[in-house]
Amino acid sequence: MIRLKIEELKPGMILARSVYNQQDLLLLENDTSLTKKRIWMLKTWGIDRVSVKGKSQGEGKGDFEAEIETKETIETELKAKFADVIDEPVMQEIMKAAGRQLQKSLIDQEKENEPT
Amino acid sequence: MNPPDLDRMISRVEDLPTLPRTVLKITELVNDPKSSARDLARIITDDQVLAARLLKLVNSSFYGFPQRISTITGAIVLLGFDAIRNLLLTTSVFDLFSNRQKISMIRQEQFWDHSLGCAVGAKVIGNHLRYDKVEELFVSGLLHDIGKIVEMIFIPDAFKDINQLIRDDNILMIAAEEKILGYSHPLVGKLLAERWNLPPKLISVILHHHQPSEAGQFVLEAAIVHLADILCRSLNIGYGGDNKMPALDKMAWDSMRIKPQAIESMLAEINKEFDEISLFITYTP
Repeated sequence: MIRLKIEELKPGMILARSVYNQQDLLLLENDTSLTKKRIWMLKTWGIDRVSVKGKSQGEGKGDFEAEIETKETIETELKAKFADVIDEPVMQEIMKAAGRQLQKSLIDQEKENEPT
Repeated sequence: MNPPDLDRMISRVEDLPTLPRTVLKITELVNDPKSSARDLARIITDDQVLAARLLKLVNSSFYGFPQRISTITGAIVLLGFDAIRNLLLTTSVFDLFSNRQKISMIRQEQFWDHSLGCAVGAKVIGNHLRYDKVEELFVSGLLHDIGKIVEMIFIPDAFKDINQLIRDDNILMIAAEEKILGYSHPLVGKLLAERWNLPPKLISVILHHHQPSEAGQFVLEAAIVHLADILCRSLNIGYGGDNKMPALDKMAWDSMRIKPQAIESMLAEINKEFDEISLFITYTP
């Protein structure tokens, strides 16, 4: 688990701890993967640091490796979701097509995450 | 015999939220063949918030009009009465529920995204099938799970148990509701929709979105929303309350005659349109 400043968050990172606002209202649950919209939401609530999954590699700033959703996690999650209905050929087709679309969004997201 | 909770909920149906008066007035006007665009414009301009929203929506990329529309009358002429009513219904509905309950922010935001995703999905499928009133489908998608919100507000303790059961057993919300309550959100949603005097087609879609082949004359509409629900769950758009896929109603699927090869292009379209629309119809609790 690493603690990051809001500016260091990137879409795809996964929360290691739930985030609450000053009134103790739950904003985001742990295990939630971050999206641009959610990072923006945390900013608007004045949150300045959150804990995400991953490990720090040194003492210095930026020395960390955050867990990011990958091709493999997308596939595992889809299979779990479709487990009860996968005998139906139409559902198989939907699962495969959705898998390809999700991979595509992941690649687009990675491009956006690259430092400019 | 109805389970006690449902009886209680039905008996409290008078306490259920009502639609804003403006939307009701507009519904009346739309149903009156003698009303004109000017009558409608007068009602909308009386409500500053609705007027501002309407102009924002018609000028968004979702409609893609080449010129800027700056008057309410202009918007009405371009979009038509029904579309306007649906748009306003859309933007008003979630206001009713905001700030009522101290529940997790992600819950509210994600639930809203699921509804919006389903609305976009129904519109995309409708376009694919050349359905002539896609705006209606959009609203149906948006409201299909409204029963879940009613449960959250009226039976918060049972709703907590339902969510616990979903986490423990990893099952669909409808299955958890049946186990704990003996009824589920489509029925609850139907009660609310009746209370709101929504059109019969919309009531039927809300009631039958898990078994669209039982929707009688509205099989097609219910089937479209049913598929939209499945497609946006597969794309992880929002959160419908659980992490499972509803079973496909095969009869309803067959009735749509969608070629399996068309699924992927619809999914791509849903992703694209959802990103566009969620930027301006943002749920702010």
